Amino acid sequence: MVILCWQRFTAPAAESILRAMNADDTGISKQQLGMILLVGGIVGFCAILSVDIMDVGREGGIGPAQTLALIAMALVVVVGLTLLPLGDAPA
Amino acid sequence: MRNPGLPLHRALMLCATIALLFACLVYTLYAANLIAFPYDYDQGEGFEVQDSALLSQFTLPYLDTETYPFYSSNYPPLFHVMAAPFVWFFGPAYWYGRLLGFAASLLIAAAIAHAVYRDGHQNRWIALLAGLAFISSNFVYHIGPLFRQTIMMVAFETLAVVVLARAFPRGDKRGITLALFFLLCAGYTKQLAAITALAVILWMFLRGPRRALICTLGFGLAGGLVFLWLNLASGGQWWTQAIVANVNDFFYDQAVGLFRLWFGLHGFLLVPAALLVVVELYADRLSIYSIWFLATAALGGISAGTWGAGDSYLVTSIAAACMLSGIFFSRMLANAWRPSRILQVLPLARIASVSLLLAPILYLGYARATLKMPTTGEFAPLADLLGIERNVSFHTRQDEPGFYDSASWIAGGYARIGYFLTEADHAAGAQIVAQIQQTDKPVLSEDAGFAIAAGRDVVTNPTQLRNLYLAGQFAGDELARMIEYQEFGLIILRAQFFPPHILEAMGQAYVHNETVFMNGFDYLLLFPRPGYEPRAAS
Repeated sequence: MVILCWQRFTAPAAESILRAMNADDTGISKQQLGMILLVGGIVGFCAILSVDIMDVGREGGIGPAQTLALIAMALVVVVGLTLLPLGDAPA
Repeated sequence: MRNPGLPLHRALMLCATIALLFACLVYTLYAANLIAFPYDYDQGEGFEVQDSALLSQFTLPYLDTETYPFYSSNYPPLFHVMAAPFVWFFGPAYWYGRLLGFAASLLIAAAIAHAVYRDGHQNRWIALLAGLAFISSNFVYHIGPLFRQTIMMVAFETLAVVVLARAFPRGDKRGITLALFFLLCAGYTKQLAAITALAVILWMFLRGPRRALICTLGFGLAGGLVFLWLNLASGGQWWTQAIVANVNDFFYDQAVGLFRLWFGLHGFLLVPAALLVVVELYADRLSIYSIWFLATAALGGISAGTWGAGDSYLVTSIAAACMLSGIFFSRMLANAWRPSRILQVLPLARIASVSLLLAPILYLGYARATLKMPTTGEFAPLADLLGIERNVSFHTRQDEPGFYDSASWIAGGYARIGYFLTEADHAAGAQIVAQIQQTDKPVLSEDAGFAIAAGRDVVTNPTQLRNLYLAGQFAGDELARMIEYQEFGLIILRAQFFPPHILEAMGQAYVHNETVFMNGFDYLLLFPRPGYEPRAAS
């Protein structure tokens, strides 16, 4: 189940990357970059949150550094979303 | 038609140039002042001298710290290799390492100016200001003319980025190889260059994933082979001393404090730099400078929060900000933007007119924000004119030194440098060296410079022993035994970075008899305690 969810999330990014590695090697489009940032941001956000689940012995819940990291990941997700409409323009 | 704002623009540009040239003058005087000083100014410089001395004898400085002289380096070797030929001709000394650092900072400024001119619509004046802005940064000022490797790392990083920015899009294989070679040099100057390597790989990936993969494989292979050779040649000590011992605790307050200081001092250029990143993200292609800036500001800033780190960890991001802001101003002044639907909605012609005044005013604001200068002697009248007063003081002497620094001492009070040294500092150093020469026994000094000046063995590297101890890699039995049996004729302490049990042994077997004030610090001189009976050796 976890693997299926993971694949559902990462498949579009992987597809974008592979499509970009074409014979001309022209680079990533803004839409592809947006997708990578979106997936990366979500994965990063979940990973930072999971620190508390993996290391249950930690004290104090979400600390200031963790809060900043979560905000940064949320920002990455927002930037990723705003890049999606820009289509095939080169990143 | 002649633009009526042009004369005012030129006048303001001239003012900005004079202000930044003044910063360059103060920096040069500071460098000259430091180069003449034969002892530690920044804690740890003497160990860089020692590393250079060892490498000049073709000995790697990654040594077993459990046996005499309990010394090891925790930095990659390239900067010390560059200093090694000077050791052959002049013996171990500080001046050439500081001169190399100063020269490296000027090289970075020149590379920034070149990149701004080349990639920012050939505006010579803005290119000059962008280069001078780098020199004017308080962070660059603090660490540029030191016998430390950070500024040399930034020089290699900057060269790599400037060369690659042109070579990769053109598929210029020779240029790409040269840029990756510079990047490898940066990595083997200081480990922190890994952030720039990451940024460069990301940018290449954006521009051409297939070529990026090939380049990364080649780069990784070359870097990995050097790593493997260092580890084999040092009998595994490279891994322990340069990698394991460099994992330090993270201090949130230190990181946030340095971020705030970084923005407060450099905000006049950081905001334009960030604006160009946004323009490139949505209306143009992301340049290597943008990716470099984002990576080094975010990751460099986080790294600055680790124990032993400081403002120097943000210097690379300042180089990137100087480039981006310079390119941004040049393009605004020339109204030279890539055709874009997003930019079309902006009044670009009006923005270009406004930027005639805005660009030099921002550089002037930056020059004021980063101002630092002596407030005594020949500088006193100017300090009065500018309305600035001494705002820094030493730990134990609140009335010294006569120096103004807009950074007003670094967050957390960690890096207390920037002031000029005096004759009293030279005399104090000579006094400590004279004390060393009173004994025939080895001397344990927390600053290596005194032992080097006295022609004695450099014994221990306290920060390294501390880091190894915390990593569970240093027992220190033999060092503790030598202290217990008073086998050192003198112990000189400054920051007391040694592991607790070593400090405890010193406190038992030695007695603090004399304090010498030098370079803003109290150096404690500990002599063997008379009549002390050694405890059973541990």
